[in-house]
Amino acid sequence: MSSLSNMSAEEISELLDEYGIKHGPVVDSTRNLYEKKLKEAMAKGKKAKPSPDKTFYREEEEEVTYVYRTPAKSEDVRDRTYMRSRPEWTERELEHSASYSGYSRSDYKGRNYDELSHESPKYTKEDFPTYGQDAPKAPKSSRLIPLWVQFLCFLAVAVFLYLVFSSMESNEPLKVIE
Amino acid sequence: MSTTSQKHRDFVGEPMGDKPVMALSGIGDTLGKKLEEQGFDKASVVLGQFLLLKKDTEMFTDWLKDATGANSRQAGSCAQCLKEWCDAFL
Repeated sequence: MSSLSNMSAEEISELLDEYGIKHGPVVDSTRNLYEKKLKEAMAKGKKAKPSPDKTFYREEEEEVTYVYRTPAKSEDVRDRTYMRSRPEWTERELEHSASYSGYSRSDYKGRNYDELSHESPKYTKEDFPTYGQDAPKAPKSSRLIPLWVQFLCFLAVAVFLYLVFSSMESNEPLKVIE
Repeated sequence: MSTTSQKHRDFVGEPMGDKPVMALSGIGDTLGKKLEEQGFDKASVVLGQFLLLKKDTEMFTDWLKDATGANSRQAGSCAQCLKEWCDAFL
């Protein structure tokens, strides 16, 4: 990385745009500030994405880059990744369950994440041959609480509420709703 | 109105003209001197810097903290003061 101080104002401006940092003209009084901002952005990694620990935004990026990867491959890799990485991932998986088929998490290989990057070589060699078999199981085991358990809980709460409702002596509330 | 000080209201209520830097909300003697040392001897020059940063209060706050050692409250107060002045007069 060439020294920021040696860059011209236009180059600094271009770098700021690359990181998505809104900025004004790069002049004497603003240059220092922008150089600092760029250093912070570079420390975080490219594209001004948040730190590897939090991945809410990262998933969006992965989705974009993931369209051309095979779904089965992605699910398997992601599954392994999630099992080893933090449980936070499971929550995001729930949100992005619809995107599983089209997207994959193996993009983590390309990321700078310390935890995932060293695991990625294993995935590429070992996991690919077993895709078809593991793909169906992947979504379940990757979650902290399996999906069916969550559905069950939801149904249980719904049934309970219905019972409470129906056991009420007066039916007026129902009529009022109607 | 939220917790704006009298100083804030005084500044935002009229064109700044030739007011000194210390007239800005959040800028006291210490910070004012530091700004003057760097050439920002009038509130209007600080306004110039604010405008250069495209009236982005976050950027301006970062700049002010960096340039003068202001804390978040002081810098934020100054930024908000300038922003409201711009909304009214610019």
